[in-house]
Amino acid sequence: MPHKPPTKEELERRKIVGIRDEIITDVTSTDFPGHYPGESHVWDIEEFRQGVRVEFHQNDPLEASFSLIGVDASIANAFRRIMIADIPTLAIETVFINNNTSVIQDEVLAHRLGLIPFQGGHEGLHKFLKWWRKPTDESEVNSSYYDFNTVSLRLEVACTHNDQAAPGETDPTKLYKHAHVYARDIEFCPVGRQDRYFSGADAIAPVNPDILIAKLRPGQEINLSMHMHKGVGSDHAKFSPVATASYRLLPTIDITRPILGADAAKFAKCFPPGVIGLQKVTRTEAAQTGSGYEGHEGEVRAVVEDPMRDTVSRECLRHPEFKDKVKLGRKRDHFIYLVESTGQWHSDAIFLESVTHLKKRAMDLEKQVINMVR
Amino acid sequence: MSREEYQVPATGSANTFGGGSFNVPAPRDYAGEGGGVMHYMCGDCAVRVPLEKGAPIRCQKCGARVLYKERTKRMVQFEAR
Amino acid sequence: MPRATKFTKEEPSDAGSDVAMDEAPTSHQPESRDDMSIDPNENEEVEEDEVEEEEETQRVRLLPGSTPTAASFEFLNEGHTLGNALRYIIMKNPDVEFCAYAIPHPSEAKMNVRIQTFEGTTAIQALEKGLRDIQDLCDVVTDKFIDSREKFAAGISA
Repeated sequence: MPHKPPTKEELERRKIVGIRDEIITDVTSTDFPGHYPGESHVWDIEEFRQGVRVEFHQNDPLEASFSLIGVDASIANAFRRIMIADIPTLAIETVFINNNTSVIQDEVLAHRLGLIPFQGGHEGLHKFLKWWRKPTDESEVNSSYYDFNTVSLRLEVACTHNDQAAPGETDPTKLYKHAHVYARDIEFCPVGRQDRYFSGADAIAPVNPDILIAKLRPGQEINLSMHMHKGVGSDHAKFSPVATASYRLLPTIDITRPILGADAAKFAKCFPPGVIGLQKVTRTEAAQTGSGYEGHEGEVRAVVEDPMRDTVSRECLRHPEFKDKVKLGRKRDHFIYLVESTGQWHSDAIFLESVTHLKKRAMDLEKQVINMVR
Repeated sequence: MSREEYQVPATGSANTFGGGSFNVPAPRDYAGEGGGVMHYMCGDCAVRVPLEKGAPIRCQKCGARVLYKERTKRMVQFEAR
Repeated sequence: MPRATKFTKEEPSDAGSDVAMDEAPTSHQPESRDDMSIDPNENEEVEEDEVEEEEETQRVRLLPGSTPTAASFEFLNEGHTLGNALRYIIMKNPDVEFCAYAIPHPSEAKMNVRIQTFEGTTAIQALEKGLRDIQDLCDVVTDKFIDSREKFAAGISA
């Protein structure tokens, strides 16, 4: 029996994850060969190229939002996981404490220093700096630091009384000098060729200079030096280039039966502002038989304006007057990414790097498989 | 355990780490003092009290008998994790 | 527990620029070397260099009990990131009868992939094709992303 090719509506319907009040339906993707008889869902790179789209919504250095449309969840998730865990970043790894008489314990101070995000010249960070591996022989450790694998920083702060303070002053920042130790007090000490890549605006510096590291009182001081190395988020979260990288699926709202008048206003209130708009029923719409608008010309009706703003709270399903008139869902292949960089990489560069990383992993494994066969 | 044995810290010529060179604060440089004088912190008045071996344990200023040892001059290394 | 190691050295030595020539040991390598390839500790994961054949451990293994058309593979240091993506791509291959991945225990970074094929091709061929398809996919996504980014930048400045 010949199979009819699927209609456009059918193809669109297949892409939607159903959101009902108590259950989520059609979660898994079904575009595999053999699932639909008569249809070929064989992997074809050209077909994929036709179907993939990227649309940007925002592209700032620290925050980027874009839609990746036409890929499967497993691929989109792979990109997300790589962004969080496998993109190399520079962070403080070793802290050499010469003196710490503050109330913050040495190990706590070291931990806090490791979590401070740094920025620097991109060419130096991504191309010049290489990985540092701890030598297996303990005695060689101190000679394994070179200008291309280690960045050195220094923090020297001592708190003293401020003689110029007004009598009766209670604010510690005015009573004492250097009572608060901020990230901006960390000095970058370039070594060797680092001057070429990290000078001026490109210098290694904390992304946010106002991060409070410790508080001191007169007589206390902190004197330490630090080594920064490259690492990945899977090793320690301080190496993750993103505050977080996440995606959500595009929500769909399908108004199946007309919602008019006061109901429409109430319906619009069930969603964040901008999702539902109110429009007047036109004469042509009222003229269409079977549309449900007959006799309602001039009344206000609810219309879906911008589903991307919806947060899918399913509030409209809680009201009996709307429950049967609307179908909620999400598009299974439309991923709205939000990449929030901590400052070392640009947000769009992080996504590109993650795609490149997946490709490189697949390449390396392909070599390994060929090796295994041999 | 030779690593644990006490070594008199060298000055000047051992600063091979160009980028991370730092100044050891002057009052702490005890290579110059008649060896063996340790400084302790008084518990009451927080003044640095020099005390030799065998000397009676009292603060010079306020006479308190509780003295605390100062933090070590040795460098301590930590992983920032 | 803090991991502190007491060093009696003053500070860590670096190949600093202010080491006097006569004090530097003979093994000391001068810092401003333009040819970095002679460095013994150097190993990058990046770009144009060849795979370090000497250091590379075998990260893919054929598990026992595999036949040419029904095979299980064990990947080391891989997880859901590659596993789910690989499974999806391999399932899009019409000659593959069955494909699934599993992580035997979350504490171990091992991933097993099982591929069963119809008569036309072997499991290893399906695995290789899957890995190649992932690379093609990444190329397409990169191109589309860069195009879209440029369009967006042009649209903003317009």
